[in-house]
Amino acid sequence: MFKKTPTARLMLHIANLMVIFFILLPVVAVFIGSIQSEKALQADTRRVLPLEVTLDNFTVILTKGEQKGRIFEQVTYLPDNIKNFYVAFANSAIVAISVTVLTLLFGALSAYTLARLRYRWTLFLLQANIVARFVPVIVLMIPLYVVMRSVGQLNSLSGVIIAETGFLLPYAILILAPYFDTIPGELEEAARIDGCTRFSAFVRIVLPLATPALAACGVIMFIISWHELLIPLILNARPNFMTLPVVIASLVGDVHVFFNLMMAICLLALAPTVVLVALLQKYIVEGLSAGAVKG
Amino acid sequence: MNRVRIPWFRREMSAGRFALVMNLPTLICLGLVLAYPVGYAAWLSVHRVGLAQLRRGEFAFTGWENYGRVLEDPLFWVAIKNTLVFTVITVGSEIVLAVAIALLINQTSIWTSRITRFLILLPYAIPPICNGLIWSFLYSFQFGFLNRILFSLGLINDPVNWAGNPDTALYAVTVPYIWRTLPFAIILVHAALQGIPRELYEQAAIDGANAWHRFTKITWPMLQQIIAIILILRTAFAFAVFEEILAITQGGPGDATWVAAWYSYKITFAPPNNFGMGSASAFILTLMIAAIALVYLRLIYRRVTL
Repeated sequence: MFKKTPTARLMLHIANLMVIFFILLPVVAVFIGSIQSEKALQADTRRVLPLEVTLDNFTVILTKGEQKGRIFEQVTYLPDNIKNFYVAFANSAIVAISVTVLTLLFGALSAYTLARLRYRWTLFLLQANIVARFVPVIVLMIPLYVVMRSVGQLNSLSGVIIAETGFLLPYAILILAPYFDTIPGELEEAARIDGCTRFSAFVRIVLPLATPALAACGVIMFIISWHELLIPLILNARPNFMTLPVVIASLVGDVHVFFNLMMAICLLALAPTVVLVALLQKYIVEGLSAGAVKG
Repeated sequence: MNRVRIPWFRREMSAGRFALVMNLPTLICLGLVLAYPVGYAAWLSVHRVGLAQLRRGEFAFTGWENYGRVLEDPLFWVAIKNTLVFTVITVGSEIVLAVAIALLINQTSIWTSRITRFLILLPYAIPPICNGLIWSFLYSFQFGFLNRILFSLGLINDPVNWAGNPDTALYAVTVPYIWRTLPFAIILVHAALQGIPRELYEQAAIDGANAWHRFTKITWPMLQQIIAIILILRTAFAFAVFEEILAITQGGPGDATWVAAWYSYKITFAPPNNFGMGSASAFILTLMIAAIALVYLRLIYRRVTL
């Protein structure tokens, strides 16, 4: 916009390099940590780049501990949860996809009416959603644990899906509502004159126009749900029902698991959402600003 | 009599009834998973609930006893103090960094800014528990990646125990949290920057304003609304920080990084499993956050309702 002196340009480049370094530091760490052995990491504690490169950490996780490779040859103990990687990955996918579909479905129905039909109670419901977004998970989990325990729903994926859907729904509504607000009402008026009911006008006219907002909301819901730890951690204690974050949390404090293996499983767990963010960056940016500003 | 009877499902609903039907799933969800548990937490917090009581299914009413025990517990006050320190540091740094980095990635003529802009959302993709574990590898006293880098750059001679030292642990856990939640703040500030009309800056430049004046007289006033929003949202969420604490320090060393959510979690789900006291402490946390939420509501509805 304005002419910059060479010094100013240099300063800006340096500032950028510092920010890039800060952003990439943990990503480089997880990568370098995951491609070497425990021995190599311990042999020289001042070395940044690995002494030798190996994929054994990934092999042992992806073969459920069957192919131990050179690193784990002499290892007799591997946490069962590591061997459960595929089950946990599938559970995470089932939960995240179900929660995304349910929050999008309920959220769209609700956000449309809250944006379009202004009554005293719809405004109140919208404000209730804004406040509900602030509720900390921990205060929900104690009573939900007691309830689920008494109705025998502990250790099930459906319990986690219900809890996460309820928890994320207010946020989905807040992301979608401002977008529905921008679609001109005349379109539905015209459709209704042609004989559409309110509902079919919504499904046939409004929803197709709202695809970008649905994409933004959907990808954000998927990411948050893929990341969610506390809800499945408290509701599911059996390995068959653990999601990836729960498996990873179970490695914390296990003295037999060294950083290399942890970094490898972390890398496998963060890969899907990193790919999503890289591909759908534009939608996420729009969704994040929509969900925070207008309400 | 001779009117064709339209079946109920094809008949047009009134707008009010339509709104109600469309909102039924949401109302059920909010009631079942949000309102009911919060109410039930309040109920649990005034009853004696431990594992033995859970097995029998009978909870004795105790009045304010759980709240009394929480408020008399020195560890609870340590947790509250740590939460406040954690929140002030993370939210304060996030706002300063978000404004600075948003201005930086707004420099379209600088090619490195475009790289930063492309990478800015990366931390948003990392699961919080993975983020915690990655930083515990970075911070590790003996094998840590951060010490390795500092050794190579010749900045330290002896390894630093970043997260294992009670004096620095709380500060150490703020950095991963800032790292993970900063993209959200940057994106909001950056979006607000796009909304500032260019003409304002051009006019100011003609009037001879330097960069600092353009920032203080134009940019900053135009950003105030969004910064207030970020301040409130981030404060409320930082109050409930959990994953990074679990992964990096588990509240330690000693009680140096016990925070409010960790306190409720440990009291409830670690032996002796005091659900009543856990609910009471979680409810105190919720009331604090609810106060913040109401301020937020006032802020974003100022133009609409007042």
